[in-house]
Amino acid sequence: MANLAWKNLVYDKVRLSVTLTGIVFALVLVLIQFGLFLGFLDTTANIVAASGADLWITAPGIPHVNGATAIPESRRYKALSVAGVERAEKHNIQFVNWKLPSGAQEAVQIVGFELNSGMGGPWNIVEGSVDDLRGEDTVMVDELYKEKLGVKGIGHVAEIQGKRARVVGFTRAIRSFTTSPYVFTSFKNSQNYARLGPDEMLFLLVKLAPGANAAAVQKALQETIPGVDVYTNAEMRRKTQNYWLFSTGAGVTTLMGAALGLLVGMVVVAQTIYASTVDHIREFGTLKAMGAGNGYVYKVIIQQALISAGFGYVLAIGAGYLVAKGSETGNAAILLPPEMALGTLVLAALMCIGASVISIRKATTIDPALVFKG
Amino acid sequence: MQNRIEIRNLSKVYGEGSTAVKALDGVSLDVRQGETMMLLGPSGSGKTTLLSVMGGILRPTSGSVKVNGIEISNLNETRLPKVRLDNIGFIFQGFNLFPALTTLENVEIAIELRGRSIPKGRARQLLEAVGLGDKLHAYPANLSGGQKQRVAIARALAGNPPIILADEPTAALDSTSGQIVMDLLSNLARQEQRAVVIVTHDARVLHYGDRIVHITDGRMTDLPEAA
Repeated sequence: MANLAWKNLVYDKVRLSVTLTGIVFALVLVLIQFGLFLGFLDTTANIVAASGADLWITAPGIPHVNGATAIPESRRYKALSVAGVERAEKHNIQFVNWKLPSGAQEAVQIVGFELNSGMGGPWNIVEGSVDDLRGEDTVMVDELYKEKLGVKGIGHVAEIQGKRARVVGFTRAIRSFTTSPYVFTSFKNSQNYARLGPDEMLFLLVKLAPGANAAAVQKALQETIPGVDVYTNAEMRRKTQNYWLFSTGAGVTTLMGAALGLLVGMVVVAQTIYASTVDHIREFGTLKAMGAGNGYVYKVIIQQALISAGFGYVLAIGAGYLVAKGSETGNAAILLPPEMALGTLVLAALMCIGASVISIRKATTIDPALVFKG
Repeated sequence: MQNRIEIRNLSKVYGEGSTAVKALDGVSLDVRQGETMMLLGPSGSGKTTLLSVMGGILRPTSGSVKVNGIEISNLNETRLPKVRLDNIGFIFQGFNLFPALTTLENVEIAIELRGRSIPKGRARQLLEAVGLGDKLHAYPANLSGGQKQRVAIARALAGNPPIILADEPTAALDSTSGQIVMDLLSNLARQEQRAVVIVTHDARVLHYGDRIVHITDGRMTDLPEAA
């Protein structure tokens, strides 16, 4: 039986090519649209996800991590007094202006972190080190934005808010969702660049003591420190993602793109599998005339669909990984995590089986006279 | 001789109301074991419809159809395939071979459908019996019309059915191939005691029939015995 399904498929190589092209197109479309969506979600909150902090303390009611207002530095001492808090480190993320060599201004987001804290700093460092940021007016940018910021290489000197900024390192693939790249520097430098007062900060990043209960410490911090909000890392990430996802046209567009990709993919696969089944409809009629039950015919049709799905998936996942790899050096990230690859395999199988179920109806309602036509 | 097919007062109507077309109208006939029956009639007379009803592919509007003693006119779709599988072998005008399968595989799939132990080598034996022992691994596209029809005969015999229903088996063949095919079919009745029903337009093959049944406008017009 597997023999018939397999042989039916490979016998007509042109038809097989058309079928696989349809499936590959549909799956690559789904992979790219969902990869863009995941990339979008990741990019909006990567700075939170990679911070290493367990809890974030902010001014009350901030909409997202890129829109914080200042809180007094004294809050840090209150935080440190709460049981279960191992460390509480000052942190800034603030929009500032970067002066290009042409004299034009480019908005960037300065990220100031305590260099010894191990929280809130850059990751994927490809040139330089965190220690290089100990120097006065030193910054680190992502190599994706070299051209945008007019940075030639290590040692390049620019101006942030009219103050000197010397590039001492580069990160790789730390994208900003907004058009403003992240620029990492020490907390102290960031206060100068962001024109914050000496006793002001935008965030406190909290590291819990080993064994401390995050929810309990969060509650205690909220009760102990007046005039702040306390979020877990996951809450801050979700808050930021939801803001960009649902409060901006870009988020809704990406979400709709993913949904549309899925819909178009399903229609293309359904049409492709249906056409492939209908091509063999006379053979299925012959099988029935020979005494095959509907179950046998269903199995052959579903096997054909699954074989097509399998081959289509292998080709599509290969193409998807190439596209995702290519996106690493572009501004829009396309993520293809193993869970999505696996999900796409299941989706491909379900789409193909679903489409074959539609074709099965056609096969089981064959006009008997069809098999007698010469 | 035992009746393999018994048809009584058979009617088949396509469509409903003003668009209804009566394809068969009050047909009654028996097909006996060891008999070759030729169904003759102009295009659209109802021959193929009658063959379809005999084979349990098409359900009659009214009347009774017994295949090897089993009333099939009211059998549901889950039981009909088994009746076809155990009792009937079809041969089609257009051969209806699976183009993606070799000659041998085309016969083997009919054996596989039975899902029971059939002696290994049965497919090969059947193909050798129809003179295609040297074409076991050829694909239908590489066979002549006559060879294809002989594969179809071997396939129809895979389950050793007591009834063979053939629709215009020589229509697409030259006279030599047609004669070979008709000899094979005729021998299935005479030597192997199967009931063979052949729909045909081909006057060259009428003499192979033990009985010729004329169908006109869905009715049997006469039942002359063949010479």
